[in-house]
Amino acid sequence: MSVEGLLAVLQNSTVGRTISGNIGSGWWFANIETLHVLATSAVFGSIAMVDLRLLGVTSRDSTVSRLSQEVLVYTWVAFALSVITGTLLFISKAETYFHNLQFQLKFLFMALAGLNMLMFHFGTYRRVLQWDNALPPPIGARLAGALSLALWICVIFMGRWIGFKT
Amino acid sequence: MQPAHIVVRHWADWISASPLSQWLQDQLWIVPTSQSIHLVMIGVVFGCALVLNLRILGISTSGRPVSTLVRTLVPWIYFAMVVLLITGVIQTITEPVRQFITPAFWWKMFMIVVVLFATQWLARSVRKDPEKWDNGSTRPRTAAIVALVSLALWIGIIYCGRFIAYTWELHL
Repeated sequence: MSVEGLLAVLQNSTVGRTISGNIGSGWWFANIETLHVLATSAVFGSIAMVDLRLLGVTSRDSTVSRLSQEVLVYTWVAFALSVITGTLLFISKAETYFHNLQFQLKFLFMALAGLNMLMFHFGTYRRVLQWDNALPPPIGARLAGALSLALWICVIFMGRWIGFKT
Repeated sequence: MQPAHIVVRHWADWISASPLSQWLQDQLWIVPTSQSIHLVMIGVVFGCALVLNLRILGISTSGRPVSTLVRTLVPWIYFAMVVLLITGVIQTITEPVRQFITPAFWWKMFMIVVVLFATQWLARSVRKDPEKWDNGSTRPRTAAIVALVSLALWIGIIYCGRFIAYTWELHL
């Protein structure tokens, strides 16, 4: 099956048509989208807390590893909820979203944010115990924090813009 | 005396016809940009509220003591609320009818006032007696209720905010 065919199948499925309001109450999209906003807010808020600590701006009385341990649980739970709700929203307008520039850019920014996280995790963070308390944190940590913050803000901007372009 | 919804509609029409609102309405990038900044700050507030209140509720057992969380996170909540107010005012001046005629908007405003009082009460109580608050067994019993209500309110605020867009045309 071609990509276009798959998108059509998703969008015309019972799930897709229920969420988009073609069948049923018509309130599914609004509610799922609001849950998506709640979940993504928690993702961004918790990531921003760690990023700002990596920059040495806030939470300076906590070590980087301890703060990560405390906060990243929220990130992953909220991220799972974001993926579930996001997938459902995608299914309802698969053809439109797939070809939407802001949607594509949003995923590009998320991919870059993920890459940045991986590079940090397997790079500077491997020696975290040597700089856990250091202020300012090493340049690698500050760079990763700044990039992460900027990329996730771009993700939110693109996410909001999708709604104005579809 | 005219019914309230007629009065607010009158205000909304007046704002909407003002030169500032007219100018803002012509700048098509302003509302999406303002809403995006609004969303970034909602993330800051909601992230802080989750970490702080779930810690008070004892659902998060590891991590910093409550007094440290209050000292670190409450100023960020207040900072974000200022930006949220500014962007919210910009959006309201640009589209006053949409906001003023929608019950979701007024519910949101009401819940914001309540949650800010709850946050301030919490912050003040913790600053007055940090040791008592850091220890789960000596923490006042009202703390858990306030934390739970605060979280519910933040969720309700975000819900109503998003639902302005989905319900305002029903009230035209």
